Amino acid sequence: MKCEELQDYYELYAMGVAGEPEGDEIRSHLSRQCEVCMAGIKRARAFTSFLGNTAPAMAPSPQLRRRILASVGFEQRRFGMAPFLGFALACALFAAFYFSGREREFATIALRLREQLGQQTVELTRLNEAFAILNGPDTTTVSFGTGQPAPPKGRVFVNPTQGVLLIASNLSPAPAGKKYEMWVIPKGGRPVPAGLFQSEADGTAMHIRRGAVDPATTGAVAVTLENEAGALEPTMPILIVAPLQ
Amino acid sequence: MMFLPLWLAIHVAGSDSELIGRLQRHDPQALAELYDRYGRLTYSLILRVVRDTGVAEDLVQETFMRVWNRAQGLDAQKGSIGPWLLAVARNRAIDYLRSAGGRERNALEFEETDHPSLYIDMERDILSSDKARRIKSAMERLSPNQREVIELAYFEGLSQTEMAERMGQPLGTVKTWVRAALKNLRDELGPAVPA
Repeated sequence: MKCEELQDYYELYAMGVAGEPEGDEIRSHLSRQCEVCMAGIKRARAFTSFLGNTAPAMAPSPQLRRRILASVGFEQRRFGMAPFLGFALACALFAAFYFSGREREFATIALRLREQLGQQTVELTRLNEAFAILNGPDTTTVSFGTGQPAPPKGRVFVNPTQGVLLIASNLSPAPAGKKYEMWVIPKGGRPVPAGLFQSEADGTAMHIRRGAVDPATTGAVAVTLENEAGALEPTMPILIVAPLQ
Repeated sequence: MMFLPLWLAIHVAGSDSELIGRLQRHDPQALAELYDRYGRLTYSLILRVVRDTGVAEDLVQETFMRVWNRAQGLDAQKGSIGPWLLAVARNRAIDYLRSAGGRERNALEFEETDHPSLYIDMERDILSSDKARRIKSAMERLSPNQREVIELAYFEGLSQTEMAERMGQPLGTVKTWVRAALKNLRDELGPAVPA
């Protein structure tokens, strides 16, 4: 048969349903490398594949994929553990984030406690120094402010080896930029600065000037209000005067 | 939804050469990728033929195993794995249909239709969604008799003689319907089907 007579059968041949004698004839042309029939059959195969797309689209079960892959020994990664692993990872990230936050919080608390401990240590040292002066057998005690309407009142303790301790009440906190300054005034000499201090909100104050002091040559202990940087000479008026002699 | 399998196939067609190479090296991951591209399309075709979901899944599995075992015959550079896969799937399904119906089959002709070496240079044309729409549209425009003979040939693998028996029509009438149907489809798809 001629190619023209076979061309109506190319598609049927491509589908495997050409029947005879047309199927045999096409097979014979193809075996002879007939270019017309080879091109026609190639086109017919493409056509046949198009027909495959006319089947209504349906979805197989999800297990089918696993079955096919298992038949070639391929174990698929399943989702089985994935949610749990994801959850565990999320928990780990949350814990890391949470505890890193807690760690920072603990560090802040520890720092604050260390600062408080340092302050309390300083305060304790001051109290020990104050007790040493108060309990010294050779400490001289002088009161001040008694008999005045609302003056600062208190006492000054002078110990030859430990120093001078001032304890006062009714001493209002110094205004901003100001501080109280204690002076040790030798007999017949110029006042010597003995340190700056501030009173508490309730008007109490305690100040220590450490170091040896000779009560015999000290005429008085005084307090003035000065700039917070302190002064070399007392500024009038003198708020507290405690004469030792 | 209907064109999802085609859409998937189109968007991955560019890497078929690489996929064929990996199948030939028996890389199981390549088989997984092949299934992801063509699994739904293959299943849809086979189900259309056998009309039983359990049987269809078994035949899909057989199809992919056959492709896995015969991938060496495919041209790695020009091979068209999608059309070949569909041809294998159709043959598996029609084989099942014939054996279940106690019918003989023309083994020689069917063996010729799914040899991998026959499927070259047709991938993009075959699986583009535009072409798929055109073939569906063309099929719908056929007369009922014309459409039926094409479907009997493609989805049931019937020869014209068998169609005539099934439809209770003279062989000459069936041949006329087949010839007219194929001419209409060819005319409709002319530019879409390369020579």
